[in-house]
Amino acid sequence: MVPLKVLIFSALFFASATSSDEPYTNRELLDAIAEKHKVFAKKRFFFLQETLDGVKDKSDLEKLEAVNNFFNEVRYGSDMKVYGQKDYWATPWEFLGNDMGDCEDYVISKYFALKYLNVDYKKLFFTYVRSTQFKEPHMVLTYFETPKSEPLILDNNNRKIFPASQRTDLTPIYNFNGDILDEVGKKNEKSHKKWDELKLNMQRKKI
Amino acid sequence: MTLFKQIALMLSLFLLIILTTVLVLNFQSANKGVQERLYDDAKNTATSLSLSLGSANGDISMMSTMINANFDSGNYRHIALVDIDDKIIYDRKTESDLSGVPKWFVFLTNLEAPVAHANVSAGWRQVGILNVQSDATYAYKQLYAILIDLLASFALIATAALGILHLLLHAILKPLKEVQKQAAAIIRNEFIIQDNLPYTKEFKDVVLGMNNMVSKVKAMFDKGNEELKVLKELEYIDKDTQLKNRKYLLDKLPSYLKVDSSYEGGVNMIVALSGVVEANEKIGRHRVNKLFSAIATIFTEQVKESKDAIVARLNGTEFSLLLPECSSDNAIELANHIQQACKVAIEASELDTQETFTSIGLYEYKYTNSIPELFARSDNALAQAKFNRKNIHMEKADSAVEVMGKEAWKLIINNALEKNRFHFVSWSVIDTKMKKLSHRVLSIHLDLDKNTSYSYAQFMAPAIQAGLSVSIYQKVISMLFKRSNTVLSASTYALRLPHEYLEDPKTYDELSELLRANVSTLPFKIIIELPDRLVHQDSKLIRDYIALFRKFGIDIGVFEFIGESRDYQYLQDLRPAYIKGESSYFLTQNTQSLSALRLITDTVGIAVIAVGVMEMETLEELKARDIHTVQGKVTETLEF
Repeated sequence: MVPLKVLIFSALFFASATSSDEPYTNRELLDAIAEKHKVFAKKRFFFLQETLDGVKDKSDLEKLEAVNNFFNEVRYGSDMKVYGQKDYWATPWEFLGNDMGDCEDYVISKYFALKYLNVDYKKLFFTYVRSTQFKEPHMVLTYFETPKSEPLILDNNNRKIFPASQRTDLTPIYNFNGDILDEVGKKNEKSHKKWDELKLNMQRKKI
Repeated sequence: MTLFKQIALMLSLFLLIILTTVLVLNFQSANKGVQERLYDDAKNTATSLSLSLGSANGDISMMSTMINANFDSGNYRHIALVDIDDKIIYDRKTESDLSGVPKWFVFLTNLEAPVAHANVSAGWRQVGILNVQSDATYAYKQLYAILIDLLASFALIATAALGILHLLLHAILKPLKEVQKQAAAIIRNEFIIQDNLPYTKEFKDVVLGMNNMVSKVKAMFDKGNEELKVLKELEYIDKDTQLKNRKYLLDKLPSYLKVDSSYEGGVNMIVALSGVVEANEKIGRHRVNKLFSAIATIFTEQVKESKDAIVARLNGTEFSLLLPECSSDNAIELANHIQQACKVAIEASELDTQETFTSIGLYEYKYTNSIPELFARSDNALAQAKFNRKNIHMEKADSAVEVMGKEAWKLIINNALEKNRFHFVSWSVIDTKMKKLSHRVLSIHLDLDKNTSYSYAQFMAPAIQAGLSVSIYQKVISMLFKRSNTVLSASTYALRLPHEYLEDPKTYDELSELLRANVSTLPFKIIIELPDRLVHQDSKLIRDYIALFRKFGIDIGVFEFIGESRDYQYLQDLRPAYIKGESSYFLTQNTQSLSALRLITDTVGIAVIAVGVMEMETLEELKARDIHTVQGKVTETLEF
């Protein structure tokens, strides 16, 4: 019996090891990022990988917490300042490489990091909100435990995660999940202009 | 298929393929554009409507109203709001109205309007997903209109392009047309030199090559012509008097002594000058020759009114004046005039007319006489004349015992004309070298009743005498074209047309009409044979006939050829299929004359046929002279 148990344990260990071996950002991309954004950028991706690896077997809430905290450390910078454009949705590699971005860039990076951690993407939404405090449009990532439950808000202004009811400074306008729309409209090549551009940039590994 | 047609077809196909491809690509592009537009419209509606629905805060009646308002105001096929559990909250549908668009177009285009989706939320809460599908009716109509426009443009462009292509090809291949014309002319043995050299190098080389070849062939023809002219002059002309000689008379006589000769008979006058030896002694050879020239002039002057008369010097002292259709009385009168005129000429030469004088023997010949008979009887008359007081003697031909009188013949012929009692017979012309039938020569028989018929040789002479030969030929030609089944089934037949028939004023128009109406239905090829003495005159009449026959694709043959023309250019202009001459004519020609004649005929592709070949021995002699195509009794033993 003992050898059988050992065998099963070993098999599970290697299967798990294989899954954790798949990094969020592969080596080639990391080298390219280091070349473009200097060695510190590469280190940020190492830290990201460490963070993600640290919570990969944890609950959704712990994953949300870790990812939200990690990306909220990135400095805020307008699209005009970083990319010279009025409105640009940056890939996670651009965002962390530059170590700077606006609200959509935080949301995007958090969304893809949580997807990497196997959080069901159908629970995550890009939510257009209005910040009553700053009186300006804003975007946060919302997490719905169930479709009808109250969402949790992952915001880069308020760094802590709160239920929506506690975020009276935010007025929700519109929920959006590109992956859901892609799944519903499989025949369509397009679902959402900004989302489609982002998908293309992700495929091209834009850094 | 001509090169022009091949290139035109190829380029037209190429053009049409390109235009069709452009049309299809254009249409596909428009189709794609319309489909994208359908999706974009749906997507825009889905996004803006989902934002509006968010403000309804989950109130279904409010959301339904908003959907209705949108649906009614735009072109939508379907709008549906589905909740997070995939249950339909509210939807609106409409059926497409495709009137004005053909079914085949709908079937072939098969537009599928994509469905656009948008998330719908109320505050922080998710409501579901909004599905919006545009109505493709408008797109179908728009695409159909685009297709019609494209087809119209395509037709216009294709027509213009094909027109331009046609013009361009014509311009580019114009030199080729000229080249083709020249090549066709060479095939017809015409010598055309093309002065306008084409710009295209390949065409230019071809034209230069053909020009070169044509120049050489023409030079050969001209050389043969010149040679033959010189030889004929030596052969047929008496140097001292410039009259025709004995050989000419011998070669020419067969056409006078034949059943279908134009003349029943006439008078052959032999004029002999006695005392020439004494004259030479008295006044010298030079002056005697002058006297002969003066006498020749007298002959020529005296017979100039007689149609088809021949004046020939037979030897040093004798002359022959063949006077067809001349009565004995007129001939005697003419002989007296000639004798008187000669006497004056002799006196003018300071000679004694008792010592130097003319004797004239006249023989009233018939077409049935043979050449030796004609000469023997004429010589006899001359012998009589020499012992005659007046030195003129007339000898008449023996009256043949005629089976039927002229009136009886006239009755029979008229009856035959009226009742169509003629039928065709034919005999072979064989090319012994190629061992094949060249063609068959047509003749006619007159049927008296079931058991009796007369051959051409029997009835034609009385017909000519009765002035019915033209009527017979009119009948026969009409029969040939209208009842061609009466002819045997060989592929080519030749028919001789005598000059009386051709010269008749009605003939040209009648023949034109017959050819126009019947030539295309003839079951065989026809060659019309024309007499050389008519053809070589190159008259307007003969040119008209030749143009007429050419127009209807009928070949021409020349018969009774003895090469008496002063110039053989007419052979090049006429380019007959063949020339036919008596076998005796070809056998008595010297080698140089025959070679020159062959050079001319070979250059322009004219066959030489010997007629009246009766025996194998004659055929062998002709073959030795490179004449291989023959007509006559010998062909009966040569059937292939």
